[in-house]
Amino acid sequence: MPSTQTPSITGLATDPTSLRVDVGDAEVRRVELAALRATMEELHASGYSMLLDLGAVDYPERTPRFDVVYHLLAMPVKASTLAEVGTPKRLRVLCGVDGEKPVCPSVMDIWPSADWAEREVFDLFGITFTGHEDLRRIQMPYDWEGHPLRKDYPLRGPARERAPRPAFALKSNVVAGAPPSGRTLEALQAQVKAARERAARESES
Amino acid sequence: MSTTERPTTPPEPMTPEIVSREGNSMVLSMGPQHPSTHGVLQIMLEIEGETVVKAEPEIGYLHTGIEKSAENLFWTQAQTVIERMDYLAPESNALCYALAAERLLGIEGKIPERAQTIRVLFSELTRMASHCVWLGTHGIDIGAISVFFYCFDLRENLLDLQEAAGGARMHPNYVRIGGVNGDLPQGFLDRFDALLEKFPGRMRDLRGLLQANPIFQDRTIDVGTLTPEEAVRWNVTGPALRASGIAYDVRRAFPYCGFETYEFDVPTRSEGDAYARFLVRLDEMEESYKILKQVRRRLETPGAVMIDDPKIAAPPKETIALSMEALIHHFKIVSEGFRIPPGDAYASVESPRGELGYYIVSDGGNRPYRIRTRPPSLYNLQVLKHIAPGNLIADLVVMIGSLDPVFGEVDR
Repeated sequence: MPSTQTPSITGLATDPTSLRVDVGDAEVRRVELAALRATMEELHASGYSMLLDLGAVDYPERTPRFDVVYHLLAMPVKASTLAEVGTPKRLRVLCGVDGEKPVCPSVMDIWPSADWAEREVFDLFGITFTGHEDLRRIQMPYDWEGHPLRKDYPLRGPARERAPRPAFALKSNVVAGAPPSGRTLEALQAQVKAARERAARESES
Repeated sequence: MSTTERPTTPPEPMTPEIVSREGNSMVLSMGPQHPSTHGVLQIMLEIEGETVVKAEPEIGYLHTGIEKSAENLFWTQAQTVIERMDYLAPESNALCYALAAERLLGIEGKIPERAQTIRVLFSELTRMASHCVWLGTHGIDIGAISVFFYCFDLRENLLDLQEAAGGARMHPNYVRIGGVNGDLPQGFLDRFDALLEKFPGRMRDLRGLLQANPIFQDRTIDVGTLTPEEAVRWNVTGPALRASGIAYDVRRAFPYCGFETYEFDVPTRSEGDAYARFLVRLDEMEESYKILKQVRRRLETPGAVMIDDPKIAAPPKETIALSMEALIHHFKIVSEGFRIPPGDAYASVESPRGELGYYIVSDGGNRPYRIRTRPPSLYNLQVLKHIAPGNLIADLVVMIGSLDPVFGEVDR
C-alpha cells in the first residue's frame, strides 16, 4: 500500500538511471545478475581494491525490480603518498535483481567490507545474498516484519498506516485517499468563528 | 544470552547465534548503555579472562529511518533530516547532499565564489568541532579527564560561529542546494578573528596534555593496528586510513568547493595504531586552521551567496513586495519545492570521519526518489570485529575511541 501521507508530484520515469546524463561522478557499468560474480572478481583483480559502498534502490514498476548499486574505488594497497593516490578511478556497478525472488550473489569473500552493507540491504530491501556467512537483520529488530526501504512499505509503518489518522483539510490529502475526519477546513473555520463570537460576547458583558 | 531466543523472519539464512560459549570462554554484552561506546553500540564479546576472543558489534539501536523519511520530503526539506545523521559534523552531511543534488541539477559550476568559500569555512569549522568531541571523549575513556574541558571549551567557540551564521547551535541547516542560506551576519568576522587567535594556543594545550603523556602513550601505542592492506580491504577511510599510511583525502582526490585552490597538507603516519590516529587527527586540526586563515582572506571579497536561479533558490524576501514574479517563485518553492531532472549521481566529501558519500536518485519529481548514504562511521566501525580479537577489553575501549564512530550515522 503506497503511503498516502505525502501526495507527491510523481516523476515520469520508471527507471531514472536509464535517463541519466553523464555528470562525471564515476564510470558507470550495468551488469547482468548472472555475470555479476565473474565481473566483480575481474574488477577486483584489475585493481578496484576498495568496495566503497553497496546499496540498493527499489523501482516497483520496472522489471527487474531492484537495483543493487556498488561503488568501487581503485586504491593502492600499500602505503602511498598524495601523488601516488592521485585521483583514483571510481566505478559504479548497477545490477538488476528480480522482485519476485530477490536473490543476489554475495561479494563478501572478495571485499570483506561488504558484510554489513549486504546485511543492511537484506534488512531494508529483503534481498538475499547467497554466500553471505552471517545474513541477519542489522538495523531493524530481529522480529521485524517487512522491509522498510521498499517503496510499497508505508512511511509510518504498517500498524499506524492502517489506523485512521487526523487528515488535515488539504484537498490533495483527501484526493490521495486519506480517511475523512471532522477536521475539515470548514469545521476549523466554524470553530474559529465561534471562538471569536464567544470572545466578543464576553468582552461586551 | 537473550538474543538467541529472538524470533526470526524468513528468508532462511538468519543466524541470531552471535557468539558461542565454548571451553573457558564467557559471553559478555558490552553496551548498549556503556559510557565508552560513544553512543548506543552493543558489542557481544566472547572473552577468556580479560582477553577478547570474538567481538561482534550489534548496531541499529539508533535507527531512525532517515533515508526513508527523506524520500517523503522536498529536496530542501530532506536536508533537515540529513543533517541529523552525523550530528557532530552536520555541515559535512548538508554539504555532501547539496553537492550531489547540484550535480544532478547541472549547476555545479554556477555556485557563487563566496558561497564556496563559506562552505569551505563551515566544512573546516565542523571538522575542528567534531575532532574536539572525539579528543575529549577519547581522553576520558583513557582516564585523562582534564582534556575534555579544554576540548569542549574550544568546541563551544566553534559552535558559536555556527550559531551566528545559521541560527542554530547544532543543526544550522545553513548549506543549501545552490549556495548557503544568507550571507554571514554583521560582526561575524570579528568573532572569527578571535577564534583564529585563540586556536594555536589551545592546540598547544591539547598537545601538551596528551601527546607526550606516558600513560596515554602506553594505552594507545600498538593498539588496534591496521596495516594499509587491511584498511583498504575493510573499506576504512578518513584519519584511520591516513594513519595507516595511505594519503587518500577526498578534498585532494576529488576536489569540491574549490579545495584545489587552498594550500594544505594531508598528514599521514605509517604506524596505523591508535596513537597514530590521534596524531593524524591533531595534525588535521592544524591543517584546518591553515585553511581557515586562507578562508579569512577570501571572505574580504563581498558577493552573492546563493545561485541566481529563481527556480531553485527562493528570491530575497525584500523583492517579494515589489515584483510579481518574485512572489510567484517564492510561493512555488515554498509550497511544492523544485524538481530535479531524472538520473542518479554520487558525490562525496571528506567528513571528519572519512569519505562521506551520497548516491541520490531522482525520478524528476520534487522529492528525492532514493538517497543512499555511504556512512564512513559504519565501515570504520565494522573493522572492529577484525582488530579486536586477541586484545584486552580495556584496549577495545581505546579502539572504539580511535575509530571515532558516530551512531547517528552508523544507524541512520
